[in-house]
Amino acid sequence: MKVYLAKWGATMAVTWSNLLVYRVNFILQSIAPLFVFLLVKLSLWYRIYEGQPGLIGGYSFGQMAAYHLWVMITGLLVFNGNSQRISEDIRLGRITSYLIYPFSLWEFHGAGFLARTLLQTGIAIFTIFAALALLGGRLESPSFGPFVLGLLLAILGGVFWFWINYWVGLVAFWLEETWTLMVMLQIVTYFLSGAIIPLELYPEWLRTILLYSPFPYIAYGPAQLMMGNLEGVGRAFLVLGFWALVASWFAQWVWRRGLRLYTAAGI
Amino acid sequence: MIHAQGLSKRFKSHQKAPGFKGAIQSFFDRQFETKTAIENFDLEVAPGEIIGLLGPNGAGKTTLMKMFTGIIVPSEGSLNVLGTVPHKRSRDFRKQIALVMGQKSQLWWDLPALDSFLLLQKYYEIDKKTFEHRLNELSELLNVTKLLRVHVRKLSLGERMKLELMSSLLHDPKIIFLDEPTIGLDLVAQKNIRDFLLNYHGETGVTLILTSHYMADIQALAKRVVLVLEGQKRFDDSLEAFAGILGGAKMVAFRFGSVVKRQDPFFEPFSPLWNAEGTRVELNIPEDRLRELGQQILRDYPVVDFHTENLPIERVMAQLLERPELL
Amino acid sequence: MIKRIKQYGSIYGAFVSTSFSEAMSFRAHFVLLIVMDLVFYGTHLWSIDILYDHIHLIGTWRREHLLFFASVMLAINQLTMTLVSENYWQFPLMIRTGNFDFHLVKPVSSIFLTFFRTIRPGSMFNMAFTAPAVVYFGLQVDLGFWAWIALPFGIVLGFLLQNSLEMLFSCAMFWMIDGTGVNFIRIEFQQLARWPDFVYPSMLRGALTYLVPVLLIGSAPVRFLLAPSDFWPILGLVVFLLFFWALLGFFWRMGLLAYESASS
Repeated sequence: MKVYLAKWGATMAVTWSNLLVYRVNFILQSIAPLFVFLLVKLSLWYRIYEGQPGLIGGYSFGQMAAYHLWVMITGLLVFNGNSQRISEDIRLGRITSYLIYPFSLWEFHGAGFLARTLLQTGIAIFTIFAALALLGGRLESPSFGPFVLGLLLAILGGVFWFWINYWVGLVAFWLEETWTLMVMLQIVTYFLSGAIIPLELYPEWLRTILLYSPFPYIAYGPAQLMMGNLEGVGRAFLVLGFWALVASWFAQWVWRRGLRLYTAAGI
Repeated sequence: MIHAQGLSKRFKSHQKAPGFKGAIQSFFDRQFETKTAIENFDLEVAPGEIIGLLGPNGAGKTTLMKMFTGIIVPSEGSLNVLGTVPHKRSRDFRKQIALVMGQKSQLWWDLPALDSFLLLQKYYEIDKKTFEHRLNELSELLNVTKLLRVHVRKLSLGERMKLELMSSLLHDPKIIFLDEPTIGLDLVAQKNIRDFLLNYHGETGVTLILTSHYMADIQALAKRVVLVLEGQKRFDDSLEAFAGILGGAKMVAFRFGSVVKRQDPFFEPFSPLWNAEGTRVELNIPEDRLRELGQQILRDYPVVDFHTENLPIERVMAQLLERPELL
Repeated sequence: MIKRIKQYGSIYGAFVSTSFSEAMSFRAHFVLLIVMDLVFYGTHLWSIDILYDHIHLIGTWRREHLLFFASVMLAINQLTMTLVSENYWQFPLMIRTGNFDFHLVKPVSSIFLTFFRTIRPGSMFNMAFTAPAVVYFGLQVDLGFWAWIALPFGIVLGFLLQNSLEMLFSCAMFWMIDGTGVNFIRIEFQQLARWPDFVYPSMLRGALTYLVPVLLIGSAPVRFLLAPSDFWPILGLVVFLLFFWALLGFFWRMGLLAYESASS
């Protein structure tokens, strides 16, 4: 067991090294979400509320700002997949070594995912404090219980997203390029998860369907919890947990299919 | 053709301890190290010469090539190639040089080579007639006529290298830089490339600057050899002079009927090269002692067979790398 | 001069045809690229539409104004995707692998080889979406006769400004080696430009108009098209263009001096 964990530890250390080699890149990518939030989201909603004081979709300006802040924090925790690396491993034939190593491909990428998530958690904490400092008392501090639940839901969302990434990465067995697929999923997810506008503003029929999909629970759901709104928390964990399981099962199934193809080709 | 004087090039790179701690440390407090790739290098090359640049990995051969072609800028010294300063990269200069790198490809991976060639025709403004003439001529010489329309990714390394070479000759360059053009090729393919280059040089009188780890390349092509060790020029003379660096030594190989102790101090001064079993050894023996030592070995050891030949440049090189003080 | 233009024209022609035959050999990727952009265009416009179900105005703009602005931005985006975008991703790769060396020994401008070598022919088809969108929303905002004439030029100017800026950013790759950071910044600035300038508070708007003029990309042409008396921004755009081209030449030369090439 100890030896096994050491493998994970070593893989995570390598991931950290890689992430920190290019300093400027790392800093840029860490602070950019906060800037986009402050510059784009806040400005935009401020202008919108200027022309329409009061509530929009049940949100006051303060609530809308808080909602987007928590969506941004959630995003830091969720989107830590690395489908491109997996595709690269396949395209360049590097997976052959994982067929021989006593450490499988999903474990390798799982460790990488874990390393990135931990690093991102640090960035998220920093971002929360920076945002609280910049926005002063205008932002309500979250209450502890629901906030922790929100974090947990976000991490579950991260697990779901990891398996989705893994699956898309594996499509490289059949397709030359997979990044288009990933970007497409990202765009759709942004839109359907309520990251652009809260789901209350969406047409009723769309919302009803979405509640059974995983999407609302990787942005809208955690943000609601972090804002202290416990409504529908049970369903959130249930539905997202179900989809995470489906995604992991599906990814493993695709892996087995792909591997058969790979070994059959005799590479 | 090339006049280099006091040429130097330094690079900066950063170092990092392994692991997470090392990563964090290097993130906040980065240790930089200046590495001197080329130091105070002089070189004169006349038109039509074939020069072999020799040296171990990291000696600075490729750095030299990149300065000669204007890709990187020297840190110090003066450099003049074809009458201009390379890194000013005048259009005329670029039209007259060619660069072939065995490790890299300038052909479009997912297209037939012919598409890349047509692109090059436009780059170098070669008129249609001349282009077609050269295309036919070169593809016949290299025996690649049938490969022109095949996707590059489907070609073998040897085939690709021929086309790579062809792509850099279409514009009839005055000087060709070849950085390990035969790397990774099998013996036949290596020989093909060598024969072609020799032939092409004979017909056009083009200047060739060549680096290679295969001494056979150097031996077959270069009239003049420049040895680079740790960024400095350590030798610059004819191939014959290079082979004779170690004096008029001969290589003598002995085969023994039974195992001979390889630590035997008798063999030590002659840079012995043993086989794994200890039944065969190659020695470098100075010409004037050949007779005396030969007799002694025949008498004292269970020799069943022996032969002698001139010291191959491969062994000269190996010995120089081990004991650079011989220079 | 004429000879040079002809030469570059014929090189570009060869770029188009090679990109096309290359793209055609990866059919699934080809289709996915088209669909990917369409999904983005669709969700972007739909988001604005949903938002306006709950409000009447943003600033002084009604639904059709913002949708017209958005469709112009998408048209600019579509041009960028087709003509240049792929090259921003390849450039850092070429620097890292040292394949950029080959660009440097060719008797053709290395800026040209770097930023125009690869075209995404698939994205060209998306004009079938963006062009009708611009026309549809243009009709809704009642563009005048001259505005219709000026419309394509406005889009091209926006396209030129966006890419001059992004090429300028890309020069940083010579020093940074890894391109992720620069490409990241490019995308973030695209996000900023996706909304009209009046959305931003005055200080920020000033910085994004006069310092890093990403807001001019869309706002300058659209403001001019909606009200021709509002021509100062588009004039500024043209001045910035000339300035950036000079700057690009300068930083590119600096970058080449600093270029160390990958070791063998």
